[in-house]
Amino acid sequence: MRPPFRFILLLAAALLLVASRGPAASPSGAAPATATMEADLKRTLAAEPEFYLFKPLAELPAGLEWQDGAALPEFADPNARKGGTFNYYIPDFPRTLRTIGPDATGGIRPYLLDYVEPPFIAPHPNVAGGAYAGLVSSWAVGPDGKTIYYRIDPKARWTDGRPLTTDDVIFTLYFMRSPHLNEPWYNDYYKKNYRQLIVYDRLTFATVHPERKPDLAVRFGNWVPYPRHAYADFGPGWIERFQWRETPKLGAYELKAKDIDKGRAVTLSRVKDWWAADKRFFRGRYNPDRYRLEVIRDPDKAVEAFARGDLDLMPLGQPKHWYETLPETHPEVAAGRILRYRFYNRTPRPDWGLWINRSKPPLDDRDLRIGIQHASNIALVCAQFFRGDAEQMQTRSDGYGWRMHPTITARPFDPVAARAAFARAGYSTQGEDGVLRNAAGQRLSFTITAYGQAQRDLLPVLKQEALKAGLEFKLEILDTTTGWKKMQEKNHEIALAALSRSVELYPRYWEMYHGTNAYADAYTKDGQPSKVATGAEPNLKPSKVVVQTNNMTMTYIAELDRLIEAYDRAETLDEIKRLAAAIEQIIHDDAAWVNGWQRPFLRGAAWRYVKWPPGFNVAQARDLEEFFVHWIDPDLQKETVAARRNGRSFPGGLQNFDQFKGN
Amino acid sequence: MNLPRLRLDPLTRKKLQRFRSIRRGYVSFLILAAAVVLSLAAELLVNSRALVVRHEGRWHFPTYGRIHTGKEFGLDYAYEVNYRELRRKFAADPTGKNWVLLPPVPYNPLENCHPGETFRPRPPDWARQNFLGTDQINRDILARLVYGFRNALAFAAAFIVLTYAVGISLGCLMGYFGGWFDLLVQRLIEIWSNIPFLFVVIIVASIVPAGIGMNLGVLLAIVVLFSWTGMTYYMRSATYREKARDYVHAAQVLGASTPRILFRHILPNVLSTIVTFIPFTIASSISALTALDFLGFGLPPPTPSWGELLRQGTSNLQSPWIVASAFSALVLVLVLVTFIGEAIREAFDPKKFTLYQ
Repeated sequence: MRPPFRFILLLAAALLLVASRGPAASPSGAAPATATMEADLKRTLAAEPEFYLFKPLAELPAGLEWQDGAALPEFADPNARKGGTFNYYIPDFPRTLRTIGPDATGGIRPYLLDYVEPPFIAPHPNVAGGAYAGLVSSWAVGPDGKTIYYRIDPKARWTDGRPLTTDDVIFTLYFMRSPHLNEPWYNDYYKKNYRQLIVYDRLTFATVHPERKPDLAVRFGNWVPYPRHAYADFGPGWIERFQWRETPKLGAYELKAKDIDKGRAVTLSRVKDWWAADKRFFRGRYNPDRYRLEVIRDPDKAVEAFARGDLDLMPLGQPKHWYETLPETHPEVAAGRILRYRFYNRTPRPDWGLWINRSKPPLDDRDLRIGIQHASNIALVCAQFFRGDAEQMQTRSDGYGWRMHPTITARPFDPVAARAAFARAGYSTQGEDGVLRNAAGQRLSFTITAYGQAQRDLLPVLKQEALKAGLEFKLEILDTTTGWKKMQEKNHEIALAALSRSVELYPRYWEMYHGTNAYADAYTKDGQPSKVATGAEPNLKPSKVVVQTNNMTMTYIAELDRLIEAYDRAETLDEIKRLAAAIEQIIHDDAAWVNGWQRPFLRGAAWRYVKWPPGFNVAQARDLEEFFVHWIDPDLQKETVAARRNGRSFPGGLQNFDQFKGN
Repeated sequence: MNLPRLRLDPLTRKKLQRFRSIRRGYVSFLILAAAVVLSLAAELLVNSRALVVRHEGRWHFPTYGRIHTGKEFGLDYAYEVNYRELRRKFAADPTGKNWVLLPPVPYNPLENCHPGETFRPRPPDWARQNFLGTDQINRDILARLVYGFRNALAFAAAFIVLTYAVGISLGCLMGYFGGWFDLLVQRLIEIWSNIPFLFVVIIVASIVPAGIGMNLGVLLAIVVLFSWTGMTYYMRSATYREKARDYVHAAQVLGASTPRILFRHILPNVLSTIVTFIPFTIASSISALTALDFLGFGLPPPTPSWGELLRQGTSNLQSPWIVASAFSALVLVLVLVTFIGEAIREAFDPKKFTLYQ
């Protein structure tokens, strides 16, 4: 009877929250907290002199090869017109304006951080491995291959007019490594990957990283600073204090408090005289003056709102929207007032698949997992549910420019092979309901946990097909937050989930496959792997589940861990490729992840007054507006609005861009 | 003065006669009753399993009971046989000694009616026996309506039994005892009924793990938990009124226990109140379930439900047959139930038949 108990707990927590609200509110905003950050930062600098280093500019190594990426081609259209209001939507109202900390990963974050804030060094979205200067005027990689030297662009300004300096850089690393941040992932990332900060003067600094990497500058130079002067009261309890606080930004858009229409919409406004407006690679981007994001929870409603003219742009990833709601024959599309776009991008895509939780018996049986792979008809989902728009992933890491393993392919849907595998796992008699049973009479039945409404219609298809192999899937569709939480706490049996993946030269494995992300006691104190008990040996089977990690298959294979550690230390691309292939082989053999699908293109529609650069978008775009290269043409807008009244048509048709097709 | 409870006394017979004479309500009742009976036999009318299979001189009646695999009928697979395919195969056989009789709607509510074709809503197609079309993953809408109706009815029946059991007991006790007990429980009910029902459903629906039985039970429990309060008010006042009557005093004098007085003496006399409420409770429980399903907090997929069909319909407005079917079915049932309710109310109106003038 767990649910009622949890429910009572929840109620109790809610009551406590209400009860504690009054008295707790007053001291948190008071003066003592203000001094916290500077004092603590000073203490930290003194306590970690080996991390925070201060050197005179004269000690900056001579003969560094400074780069700024200026030789690479620009990807935006410098002739883009500024101005106008762009109307778009977000699926949920922001729960906070923080870009870090609890609840900060909502639909608004791309507009507050990812899409808008320039990093120090930005990966070039059309040139694999290329980079361009963001917040820096130039950068250099040291001869040791582990150090990045940065020269901050002297023009870089926060929206409150203060210049960006190394003070902010010091603060940002302190901030990211601070226990008060309440973000274990960031803590860990910045502790593991940033070994030293060397400050030379107000605009020059360097970061030192643990290993040589072929893509060091974009890998670790691609970070965004936070303004030290706006975080004077950072410290315990900062999450509450900063929940709705406007903080200065470096990007082209800011969200002002007056532009928040609680529960309905938020409107970004373009920063006046933005410091990077004419900078190479930023020209022609971030064009609309106002960027209104209306909260529309249901994607179907959003498409309707777009077709009505309330929104200017609409991604049409779902086949239903592309083929049914807004087909070629839709009056606005047929009249050329709405243009439909298909753009083949070249980027690692979300890794949709079924994550089988190895820690839940009998799913710890490899044969059974192989059976599940053979019983999951992903090919049918791709061909008929996605109408051929999606393709099944062959390895764990498709979409990275080269195949991580030269020969591995996904195990195909095959009821006979599945039944054979289930029989090896002991499930060989078919019950009267068509579901297999083992000798103990246990049914071959597992729950698939999924989040969000998008998978609601897809899962019954998998369920029906799996029954052909004698496997029953029970379906559990939770709302996004709850579903995700359940998976991160490893309480699922099988999860239908995807992690969005960074645009990188090669994939990450540690988060998803290293044993320490599955069990806290995966390794003994002296680094020896815990063993599964056999006979007389003491029970060393790891049992302390680590929650809030992406190892949602609960994979713990000591051999794989060693490979992953070597992979993370690898310094050359050749070694990385060799290790990746070995890792993929083990993952494939272990069969804890049913290869899902990915779509090789972005698809959407926009009113014809929304203009794009000649090639439409950039190769690594994961989203039509990610790089903000679009703009509104006011003349066309007037013309189109008039045309909707008088029924005028324009040349239209599918706008297909396949210059980046194929990896 | 102990009134007989279940035998039809002249008064009740008169009420039933009166109900029968109210044509609109009575006809509605007959239609709904027929629908309920048919839905109980839905497996015989709407099902992918055949009614009768004649194969190699043997009879099979696969509707109820275990699955028959393809291998049993000479096909090459070990999972459940596709009877439509089997019918095509047998029809092609010129000897004609093997045949399959399928139900009028040869689809079950969970299956893809058009294997091998893309998933999209398809308009009604009588040739393929999709009389109301298919939903967005090729499931037959009529099949989903029929089974959804049955689920809704089962839900409504369980709902009525549970809410009335709690509501009537507590209401009668409040009215019978009165005093501080009445005051206290009334206050509790007021507090309880102020808890926002929908939020609780959303919270619980999101933390409760799946499993169809579990979820239907939990859903029922939550809805009942927040719905029993309405009944207590009526029962309380009815009991207040009845307890002042002589027959109650007589029973007390004779030494009848409290439960006996409440359930044997008072309850039969306030039954008309309850009976008039039943149709409206059915209507409200069906709409509650539909609303919850529509919002995605109801029964877990792929359970057929009207709310889920409505949700699909509203998000696929370009395929109007989905929303039209679900909406018409819902309106039809609710109108029928309301007509019946009105007729019952009129037939049981105490102003016409009460003995106490």
